[in-house]
Amino acid sequence: MICIKDLIYRYDDNKTISFPDIDINVSDKVLIVGPSGCGKSTLLNLIAGAIKIQKGSISFESTKLEKMSSISLDRFRAENIGYIFQTLNLIPFLSVYENIELGVKFSTKRASRVDDITEEIRRLINSLGLDTSVLKRKVSQLSIGQQQRVAAARALLGKPALLLADEPTSALDRKSAMNFLNEIDNTFDKSCQSLLMVSHDESLISYFDKVVRLN
Amino acid sequence: MYRLFFKSIYSRLFPFVLIVICLAASITMLLSIERVKDGTKESFSQSISGVDTIIGPRGSALELVLYSVFHVGNPTNNITYKTFEDISKIKEVDWIVPIALGDSYKGYRVIATNTDYFKKIKHSGNKEISLSKGSFQLGTNNVVIGSELAKKLNLKINQEIFITHGQNDKIGNSHDDYGFQVSGILKTTGTPIDKALFISLEGYELVHLGWKSGRKLFSIKDFDIASIPKENLKSSTITAAFVGLKSKITTFKFTKKIRDYKEEPISAVIPGIALAELWSIIGIVDKGFDFLSWLIIVISLIAMITLIMTSLESRKREMMIYRANGASPVDLSKMVILEAALIGLVSIFISLSILAVFNYFAADYLNNVFGVSTQFNLITPDEALTLLTIFMIALISSFIPAIIIYRKNLNQSLS
Repeated sequence: MICIKDLIYRYDDNKTISFPDIDINVSDKVLIVGPSGCGKSTLLNLIAGAIKIQKGSISFESTKLEKMSSISLDRFRAENIGYIFQTLNLIPFLSVYENIELGVKFSTKRASRVDDITEEIRRLINSLGLDTSVLKRKVSQLSIGQQQRVAAARALLGKPALLLADEPTSALDRKSAMNFLNEIDNTFDKSCQSLLMVSHDESLISYFDKVVRLN
Repeated sequence: MYRLFFKSIYSRLFPFVLIVICLAASITMLLSIERVKDGTKESFSQSISGVDTIIGPRGSALELVLYSVFHVGNPTNNITYKTFEDISKIKEVDWIVPIALGDSYKGYRVIATNTDYFKKIKHSGNKEISLSKGSFQLGTNNVVIGSELAKKLNLKINQEIFITHGQNDKIGNSHDDYGFQVSGILKTTGTPIDKALFISLEGYELVHLGWKSGRKLFSIKDFDIASIPKENLKSSTITAAFVGLKSKITTFKFTKKIRDYKEEPISAVIPGIALAELWSIIGIVDKGFDFLSWLIIVISLIAMITLIMTSLESRKREMMIYRANGASPVDLSKMVILEAALIGLVSIFISLSILAVFNYFAADYLNNVFGVSTQFNLITPDEALTLLTIFMIALISSFIPAIIIYRKNLNQSLS
């Protein structure tokens, strides 16, 4: 489904990173591990189309991301990628429901994959271990762990083909991190989705099908 | 997207309201200045209405307007009453009202005329001079006074006053041998009429019976006024005359006849032209108003742009989250531009509402107290153009933060 080949990224300070070639298939759960500053988040941003590909290639099925315009990349991201950020990036003045709904707000294609958005949000929330009573609450009223699940629900809504997660467990203790990963594993649809997660925590390796090490 | 947009604004309601208040205040101030400016100009140009020409001794047209209409300065010459009678016989003339100036009361001008003055002379866009108390009666010992004068000097109906010869209250200048009784008090006009006293031409002649070359030779105190022959009270000269023509088309023909009058050098001034000329002379005030208006526009727009930029600075993260969730730069730009449009529209609406309410309730007050003629207009075409300009600049200025957000890389904010 995703093929990363000869990918090289040069930062503003001329520091250059060469990424290994990676193939990700449907239902794959891939973990990218490596020390801080090795380019884990940069790789996710390149796949998400958040930063421009300078050299090399990222193919998403038959689509080559490096050949897409900025606007096409925005549309591509909206339709195909769910992103769980390290900093969660929930909007404080929106309710939990509205934050999750953002996942399909800007993509009619992604919204069309869901018959009943409210019902799907309820299902995701339950599946991620939260009670549906939180839906009306403001995200600022939730614990970090609960907010993490809300961010995951937003990324999963509309069944994007690829779920990107940037250190989503970094703020959680080990037990909570394990629970969170289990819930993600139970929730995402293995028939059409893949997971690519970045972490510096090598103890999570057992949960993933493939591991890519960056140095 | 619109629900998100309004929720976002609701979450920043206080700064949003501050921006709106700031802009609405600026727009209100700008439009108020424009309206007061226009009202001042309007009332200035309508200081005298219904008069087609003013006849006076040949000389400066502006001087003639200044002393006959605004009661400023002194006439350097008079015209004879015979000339006045000759002019009244010209076929184009519909009516003619004489005035004689020279005396005063506590610094206020005394105008000797006849009761036609109150019927023919109009003010503030063809409004008739009307009474608040008493009558227009102008017998030899009657005086009709302007509203401001009555208020400031606390003059009442039937009160007796003694006018002064000339403009100075010097000892020996007072016409203290003959008093005038207040017969009427005029309603406020917002014109120099409010500061004038009106007596009859006969009364004017009467108080000057004992005077020669500006000096009192004898008193008329002990005279039996009723026994003075009418011919002795007939004016020999007047200062100027206001003329109404049968048809305005004949104005230039009539003025030519006046110029060509052989008996004495006189001139006819068209008030509208003279007032416009006068306004252009004192137009430095007008230019000052213009400068102030533009300064307010510039300051308010800079304030608005700054406030929008500041508000967007605090919203960068929110915008980036939208973008990370698939919002295109066009979607984000739409939100920013929509916000600027909303700020602009709400400010304009508030501003126009304030002005409409103020205009509705304060129009009479402005007219009565300051003589500023304001009409109830929700919005004039000029104002609509100004507001459209402000609105468009608000929209265009919102492109700056929109472009900044567009160009910002996602990973700079989200990682």
